[in-house]
Amino acid sequence: MALTMSDMLKRENVQIVDSCKDWEDSVHVAVQPLVDGGYVKPEYIDGIIQNAKELGPYFVLVPDLALLHARPEQGAIKKQLAVTVVRKGVEFKKGEPCRVLVTLAAEDSDSHIDVMRILASMFADPANIEKVATAETADDVYSLFVNFPAA
Amino acid sequence: MAIHKILCCCGSGLGSSLIVHMNTEEVVKKLGHPEIEVDHSTISDIHEGAADLFVVGGDLADFVNNVPDDKKIVLKNILDKNELEEKLKAHLG
Repeated sequence: MALTMSDMLKRENVQIVDSCKDWEDSVHVAVQPLVDGGYVKPEYIDGIIQNAKELGPYFVLVPDLALLHARPEQGAIKKQLAVTVVRKGVEFKKGEPCRVLVTLAAEDSDSHIDVMRILASMFADPANIEKVATAETADDVYSLFVNFPAA
Repeated sequence: MAIHKILCCCGSGLGSSLIVHMNTEEVVKKLGHPEIEVDHSTISDIHEGAADLFVVGGDLADFVNNVPDDKKIVLKNILDKNELEEKLKAHLG
C-alpha cells in the first residue's frame, strides 16, 4: 500500500520558530523532534552538518526550502518527516534565506518514495512553499502537508 | 552513443536524487524511451561506466567536473520537469 503523508508526518513534529542562531543551530532545531520521537539518533544531526560541510547545501532544493537529511547509516532509525518553519529564515547559502525546513529520516534509499512524490509536486510550485512559510499556526502547516493531494 | 542507463545523484542518494529519479523516469517515457534504465545514488558512485548519463543538481556541479559534458546534465532547479525535459531531449536526440 502506498505510504501517505500522515504515515510520515505527525502533528507533534511540526513547529514554527522565530529565528535560529545560524544554519548549524537550525539543523539542531529542525531534527530535534525526530530525536525526541526515537526516529533518529542524536548523531543524525552531526551527520547532516558534516555532509553540508563536505558537499555544500545541496539539500536546499529550491529557494526557501531545505530538505535536511543524511544517509540511513548516519543515525536514521525509522522513516519519518519533521517540518520546521523559521520565520526569519536560515542562510545555508549567503543571502538566500530559507524559511521551510523539512527533515527527512529514511531507512533506505527508496522506501519513502510515495511521500517524496507528494513533496516534489508540492514544492514544484513556489506558491505552496509561501503558504507553508506564512501559515499562522503549526496546525495550519500540518494541514497543508497532510491535505496536499497525492498525485 | 546510445543511452541505456541514467544515474541521478545527490549527496546522500535518497532525497533530491530520488525526486530527480522519479522525474527522469517520467520524462524519458514521455520522450519515447521507456527502455532506459533510471536509478539514483550518491555522487561517490559517479564514475566512468556506472551509467551513460549522470544527472545532478547545480550545487554539486563541482563534483562532476571530470565527467564530459555529453555524459552529464546539471540542473539549475531540480524540481523543474521542464528544464529536465529540455536537457534530456538534447542528450537523447
